[in-house]
Order: sequence, then C-alpha cells, then structure tokens
Amino acid sequence: MTYRPLLAAMLAAPILAPAFAIGAAAQDAPTDWDSVVEEARGGEVNFFLWGGADNINAYVSDYVGGLLEEEYGITLNAVPLTDTADAVNLVLSEREAGVTEGGAVDLVWINGENFRTMKQGDLVWCGWTDVLPNDDLIDWENPAIANDFGVPVEGCEAPWSTAQFAFGYDSARTEEPPRSIPDLVEWVKANPGRFTYPAPPDFNGSAFVRHVFYHAAGGVDGLIGPFDQATYDAAAEEAWDILNEMEPHLWREGATYPTSITQLQQMFANREVDLIFDYNPSQFGVFVEDGTFPETTRSYGLDDGTIGNTNYLAIPANAANRAAAMVAVNVMLSGETQLEKARPGVWGAPPAIDVSRLPQDLQDGFGALPQHPSVVPAAELAETALPELQGEWVSAIDAGWQENVGR
Amino acid sequence: MRGAAALALGLLLVAPLVPLAVWSVARGWFFPDLLPARLTWEAWSAALSPRSGVPQALALSAGIAAASALLAVLVGLPAARALGMRRFRGSGAVRLALLAPVIVPGIAIVLGLHGLFLRLGLANTVPGVILVHLIPTLPYAVLAMAGTFAGLDPDLEAQARSLGARPAAVLRHVTLPAILPGIVAGGLFAFLVSWAQYALTLVIGGGKVVTLPLLLFSYATSGRNDLTGAIGILYLAPGALALVVSARLLTGRGAGLATMHATMRAKVRA
Amino acid sequence: MRSLRWRGRIIPAAPVRTVPTWVLLTPALVVVLGLFGGGLALGALRSLDADPLPGQMAWSLAAWGRVLGDGGTWASFGLSLWIAGASTLLSVLFGVAVALMLRGAFRGRALASWLVQLNLAVPHLVGAVGILYLLSQSGVLARIAFAAGAIEGPADFPALIWDPWAAGIVLQYVWKEVPFLALVTLAALQGIGRDYEAAARSLGAGPARAFAHVTWPQIRPAVTGGAVIVFAFAFGAYEIPALLGASYPKAMPVLAWERFTDPDLARRPEAMALALLIAALCGALVLAGARGLRLGGVR
Repeated sequence: MTYRPLLAAMLAAPILAPAFAIGAAAQDAPTDWDSVVEEARGGEVNFFLWGGADNINAYVSDYVGGLLEEEYGITLNAVPLTDTADAVNLVLSEREAGVTEGGAVDLVWINGENFRTMKQGDLVWCGWTDVLPNDDLIDWENPAIANDFGVPVEGCEAPWSTAQFAFGYDSARTEEPPRSIPDLVEWVKANPGRFTYPAPPDFNGSAFVRHVFYHAAGGVDGLIGPFDQATYDAAAEEAWDILNEMEPHLWREGATYPTSITQLQQMFANREVDLIFDYNPSQFGVFVEDGTFPETTRSYGLDDGTIGNTNYLAIPANAANRAAAMVAVNVMLSGETQLEKARPGVWGAPPAIDVSRLPQDLQDGFGALPQHPSVVPAAELAETALPELQGEWVSAIDAGWQENVGR
Repeated sequence: MRGAAALALGLLLVAPLVPLAVWSVARGWFFPDLLPARLTWEAWSAALSPRSGVPQALALSAGIAAASALLAVLVGLPAARALGMRRFRGSGAVRLALLAPVIVPGIAIVLGLHGLFLRLGLANTVPGVILVHLIPTLPYAVLAMAGTFAGLDPDLEAQARSLGARPAAVLRHVTLPAILPGIVAGGLFAFLVSWAQYALTLVIGGGKVVTLPLLLFSYATSGRNDLTGAIGILYLAPGALALVVSARLLTGRGAGLATMHATMRAKVRA
Repeated sequence: MRSLRWRGRIIPAAPVRTVPTWVLLTPALVVVLGLFGGGLALGALRSLDADPLPGQMAWSLAAWGRVLGDGGTWASFGLSLWIAGASTLLSVLFGVAVALMLRGAFRGRALASWLVQLNLAVPHLVGAVGILYLLSQSGVLARIAFAAGAIEGPADFPALIWDPWAAGIVLQYVWKEVPFLALVTLAALQGIGRDYEAAARSLGAGPARAFAHVTWPQIRPAVTGGAVIVFAFAFGAYEIPALLGASYPKAMPVLAWERFTDPDLARRPEAMALALLIAALCGALVLAGARGLRLGGVR
C-alpha cells in the first residue's frame, strides 16, 4: 500500500498550501523605455489570441513576429484560442494555484467581459501603456478608446483595432435586405428558414441580440452606464417577445441555433441561410477572396446604426515576460504595422491609433487603401455607430436569452 | 448475398472519409456542387508549411505519444508480469482498478487534476500532458502485456536459472524474447491511445500544448474545411500505418493490431 | 521449488528469490490510483469548496444544489444517456451481425475485414468531421439528394447534425464502434469454435435458434464487456458532441467544460460536480459489470 502517502499528499496539497498574496498584482510599472527594451531583447512573448482566422494568424506570426525577431531578437509564440475566455481562465487558474509570477500568458487579445473579469480580479497589469513611445499615437481623449465596453481602461490595456458590426447578403440571391430590426422581423416571416443567429454567448450572436435589445429599449441612451435591473426588465420582455416572434420562422423553426459564427458562415456559404453578419466586416472580403462566400456578397449597416467597439492588448499581472510583451505591443501600435493590418488582403482591421497623428506618407497610405466591393466602408458604418454596454449588461442579456429564448 | 452485405459495409466504412479527402484538395466547395469546381493542392501545401502549425503539432503529438507509451510500458511491465503469471488474492480488484480509467471518461478526472498540476508546475507543459496521458495508456499497456506473460512458461526461466544463468542473462535471453511481442503491442496501443486524446490535452495543456487533434478541432470549428480535410488525413495516417506494420511485425499475416486489440480486450474480460 | 529432469539426471532447481507480488504491482497502481483516484478525489473536494481562493476551504453544498436543481443539468444528463444508450444498442446489433458475416468465407472478405480494422485506427475526431461533411444539411448526401431531385434545398434534408436528437453524434459513435464490437465478437466466436452450433443445427435447430441458444450465451460476456466500454465512452467524450451537438441541451461533458471555463470562478465547483456525475454513472457501470465480466484470476 505504498501509494497511500502519495495519495494523501495529493489530497492535502490544496488545503495545506499557503494562501499566496492574492490581489497583489504588482503595479510596479517601469518608467524608462530603454531599460524595458534592454530587458526584452532576445526574450519571448506568449501571445494568446483567438485563432479562428488564418489571415489574422499569418499577420501576427509572420509579420509582427518577423519584425520582433528582426529588430529585437524576440520570439513571438502565437497561441491560438477558440475563445478568449480560455486565456482569462488560464490566468485565473494560475492565480487560484498561487502562481503570481512566471505565468503562461504574456499578452492577450481581449475586450469587453473578459477585460472586466481581469480588471476586477486584479489579473491584469496596469499603468504600463504610457511608457510605450507609440502611446503618443493613441487618442485617449476618445471615450470609445478610453472605455472598453463601458469599463474605463486606465492604462490596463492598449487599443489594437476597432470594429463595427455589419450585415451581409448575397446580392445575387437577395435583392433588398432588411435594414432595421422591424424590417428584419417582417423579412424573416416572409422568408421562413432563411435566417438564424449563433446562440449567445457566441460573440457575434450576442452582439446581434444586443441590437434587438437596443431596439426594444427604444434606443441605447437609457442603457448607458452601470447595470440597472428595472431598465433591463422593461426592455428585456419586449426583446424576448421580438425574438420569440421570429423563432418559428428561423432556420429549423428555431428549435436549435448555430453554436458559433463559423457555423453560420458555413451555412451562408452553403446557401442554407440568406443573411450573415460579422463584428469584423472585413471578414466578408476575406471570405470572398478565399472562395468561401460568393463574389456577389455585399454588406451594410442598419439605419438606426450598428454596434462598434475597440479591442485591446493586455498583459496579465503574473506574465513571465512583461518587458518583451510591452515591446511587442509598441511594435503593434506603430503606424506601419497598423497600416499593414488595415490592408484588405492582410486583415483589413481598422486602426485603433489616431491616423492624423502619423507622418504624412503613412496618412496617405491609409487614404489609398483599396476598398473591397464586399466590405462596407468603415467610414460609412461609423456615421451611425452605437456604443457597447458594460459587461454586466452583456452578461445579463446573454443569460436572459438562454433562459427565455434559447431553451 | 454476403458479398453484397460486405460491399455495403465497406462503403459505409469509408463514406465519412471521402468528403474529408475531397475537401483537402478543394476550394470553395459548397452546396449544391457534387464535386469541387476547382481542385488545388493549396490546403496541403498550407498544412505542410510551419505557418499552419501542423508540422509542429504532428511532431509534438508523436513525441508525447512515444514518451507516454514508453513510460506506460516501463511502469506497467512488473504489474503485467504479476497479473499474467501469478495467482494471488485480490487480482480481481487490481484488474478492476486498472480497468476503471479505461472506462471512466477522462474529462471527469482531469478537471479535478488540473489544480494539482498547476500547483506542481505541470499544467501547460509537455511533461504534464505526457503524465496525464498515462491515465488511459497505462491500463492498456498493462493488460496487453499481461496477455503475453500469461503465455510465458515459468519453467523456461527456472530451467535457465537452474542451468546457472544469472538473472540478467535470464531476462535477456529468455524472458525478453518471449514477451517482446507483448511489449511491442502494449507500446503501440499506448501510442495510439495517447495519439487519440483530446480532453486530457485540452485541460492540462491549457491551450499551450497544441497537439494534432487540438489543431484539427480548431480548424474544424473555424470553417477552414480544406485545411481540416488535410489535417484529418494526416491525423489518421499513423494509426493506419501502425495497423499495417503491426500486422507484419506481430503475426506475420492478416491478424493485425486491431484484432489483437479486440482479443486483448475480450480476454481481459472473459 | 521443483526439480528438473535433464539428460537423464535429476537437477535440483536453484533457489529462486521471487519478488513479492505487491512490489510488482506497486508502480502501476501508484500511477493509476494517484492520478485517477487523485483526480476524482480533488474534483470531489473542489465541488464542495465555495471559496475560490487557494489554500482556503469553505465547505458548501451550494454548487451541488445549483447543479442538481437546474433543469438544464437533467436535460443534459438525459441527452447523454440517450446518446450513449442508442449508440451502444445500435453498435452491438450491427457489430454482432458484422462479426457473424465476417466469420464466413466469401469474396471480398479480406478487404472487408481490413476496412473494419482500418476504421478502428481512425481517431474519433476525424470520424466526426467526416460525418459533419457527409450528413449536414448542405453535406455530400444532401447534395446527392438535391442532384437527384429529391429535395429542393438544404432545409428539406433531414436535420442530422446539430439536431436535438443528436443523430449525427449517435451515427458517429455507431460508425466507430461497430467495427470495435465486431472484432470483439469475432475474437469470442473464434474462441468457441463452430462445433456446438453445428451440433445444434444437425439436431434440427434453425440458424436463429442455434444462435440464440448456443452461440449467444457463449459470446455474451465479451459483447457485454465491449458494450460497457462503448457506453461509457459515448457518455463521456467531449470533442464529438462539442463538434456535432445542438445549442441546447448540451451533452454532459460539454456542459462540464463550459462551467469549468466560465470566467465566473464561482461556477468551477459546478464543473467539478458535473464531472463527478459523469464519473459516478460510469463507475456504477464498471461495478455492475464487474461480476458479469468475471474479472478475477488468471486465464
């Protein structure tokens, strides 16, 4: 029975282990950029990011990774995730286990609910963004940059890209797509089985449901700010009514919903549904180019506007390679890398830096970017942009959908 | 009649693999096209370039499976001898204990183990994944090897010893040659069992240890059907290869690893 | 200790120091009980711990209360039972049939049995992706049906993937497990030979009667053992329902993983409770089957 002591030790470990100082996420941000670069040289960065898009992976691994290797000798390890929550969960688990330094995640592509979780749990490192030379390119006066889904950023992450929701359709199949929520309801009834949306908490499905929620609330104005149960209850009932009214006319009579946006994309490609949407409209162009979507795909915004957000780069409080992560962020914020990222053939993600602060040649570069015919111009969408809600709203709406519509 | 049934069986067995193979050379193959309009090797060249992460994942999966199989054989050999050659009280309980991890699903065990592995610094590491793969691989290795030990005549060892052979020589010249097929079979099994793990790697690897099945799942859920097809075929190749190799190696004729697999499982139980 | 007779002489056997059995068993049992038992025990502990902070323990049944009191858990439990039960039943039925077929001699037998073996080497995940591309409403079969004029569009094709009945999941398991059970059965059939069956036939029993009264009782233990493995696997595998499952209800392992990765740490104990429910069902299966499976003793 020699295994007994080992087993006993295994069982006792979680109880006996000393409680490591929780919440002691060191806020000791460096002040001197040169020393950061010195420390970072020759190191590595474990960058955790959603890995579902080939073009994004290529841009990060080849282009950004190449620059880091070339200029600083830093190795960029891109770790693909199917859900950013997995990375947050990893940091959480590490903290649970008392790993306060040397954590696995050095850098994470993040926003919204996940950022809120990290900030509230002291899981994210703050106060380092203004040390970056390229911090000068960020317009922190812009509330859409300084707030991540309503949560003040406060130096705990750096903006990477902006995005705004758009709908798409195949102009060869659909002549006039619906441009408002009431129109959509009518369209769905007239075209049974030809529309559906991914079940929240899928990122895009959740955003679609929020559009309905905004409409039910009579606009977004009453929803800004911290979560309010009474306001929620009033709007929620109407929102679930609208969605349940559509349900019997959805794909498979609404008995089930796609579980991811990629599933919906496959269905659009296979002509199982006629409408598609994406928080990253440049994807429409990418899918047309790689043969997934027909060339006649077109995209557009709603008359009342669509939701937009900024996404960010954050360094966990227990990251093993903070300096190298900072250098990586600085490189990703430069005018050149942001311009490369904005190219339709590369990624097509709108910049998060203030382009007007760049030298003239780079500004011209942004001005000369070709526009893919399937991608609605970001400027056109931005004319009627709706803000994102604070994380608690998003969680409540997702949970409410699952309770009242999804089952 | 039998021939027709066998034909139907054969068709059903390969049917799901056909679209995988077609997708791997297709581009934009969507409803209602029966065949892709364009055939291309793009997915294969993408899958074989380091950018897709496939070559790295292939090497990592093979390394983890090999290490886990080696460990399983080493750790399991003594127990296999005891189970195969001796009668002892409680052998039923030992078999049950060894069988339990084969039956109780990995996800039920690994969620609890995750915290401990974190504490020991094994979470998100390759050694951690190798170790956790021992849970399913060790029982298979032990049970496969026990079968060979059962066929080993204990008198042979006794004879060699009585003729003055030292224990090391007995092991080298008598025991090992007799049980080698069992070790090879147990090792191959353990390799394939580790090769097929998904949930254990997902939880303990924490997304940092990207083996081939994790990559396959990731591409399958991101809509890259062409790459998914290519990776899927790469992923099933070693198992098919092991089948052919083991058929030659172990029996020299038709009965391959799979038959041994089934017989072994049946023997363990019946 | 025994003596040997060799070239006419009696040779006394050398004294042999035998290693005690428990020493031989220790390495394997330490690993199995440490990792497997430890994982279960730690999971149980965590399911009862309401304090998310490390090193502190707050005993609570709250997570169990939430899990057991949620109708969603039972919907998932029922779904997983259905998946495992249907998969096992169909696999046993077709597996035994295939084994009986492969036992005979006919043209193409070698190829058929080679394909059966090949299938066993295909990882489940590959099979699942193949089933997805084959059976989805815009998959290969739907396209053939469309080309034949049987359906007018993807929506007319029966929903086999991401459907509430989990048809695609069941079909995937059946596809993978029929060959497994066929080989198990075949091995058992070869073990018993055909004499008894032939005797029964010569005494006037029809093939069905001979099978039911003579063959089946002899292969039943092996088939039951295989069926237990199939059931437990189909109940507890994560990646297959994660790929082919509907949005609601989710299979038990998928639900457990979702709770485990919820950013809200308070839900982790629920994941542990769900994991234990899975383990409990499969554990009960092992124990129930243990007697019938005749685990004791060397062959």
